[in-house]
Amino acid sequence: MTETNQSTGGEPAVVESSAPTSSREPLALAIGFAGWLLPGLGHALQKMWGRALIVFLAVASLVTIGAGMRGNVFNSGGADAFDKLGFVADLGTGSLYFLAIALEPSGPDVSRADGDYGTRFLATAGVLNLLAALHAYEAARGRKA
Amino acid sequence: MVLFALIISIAFGTLGRRRPVDRVKYALWCFVWFLVVAVAIGWVMYPFSH
Repeated sequence: MTETNQSTGGEPAVVESSAPTSSREPLALAIGFAGWLLPGLGHALQKMWGRALIVFLAVASLVTIGAGMRGNVFNSGGADAFDKLGFVADLGTGSLYFLAIALEPSGPDVSRADGDYGTRFLATAGVLNLLAALHAYEAARGRKA
Repeated sequence: MVLFALIISIAFGTLGRRRPVDRVKYALWCFVWFLVVAVAIGWVMYPFSH
């Protein structure tokens, strides 16, 4: 199981333990999945409260601002490769993908610069959340984080 | 752009470093470089806008 160390003055730091990595793999995968589904949940499950809060606030604010600027929320029926990549990036926000759709009742408007910037905010929110979920997964596996 | 850089820098600092002091330093470093690189790229692209 994962060990923690608070001697550095920050949050609990995950240090490598002697337990075999394979025994921690299913739990680590579940934590990574949870982190993707709800931003910050993967860290919260490991009692990394500060990181959980920052990840949630960062991803949620990027989604809210992006949707408020009427950025494009891509769907699965993309016409070209860029639309499909955009969908993968947007889906990275997990459950907040549906929040972004809900916040844009009148749909995207990329005819203005605001909408274009909003699209970048939404995509960045997704990629940032994927990075955070990967970080939570690595921490749960016992890697230094 | 500044808001974008600020949010991402704070997240990078929190995820990338463990000690609070290191987090602040890394977040500041990321924030400054986000702005510097963005303005530099803007100037590089400037001749193509005419």
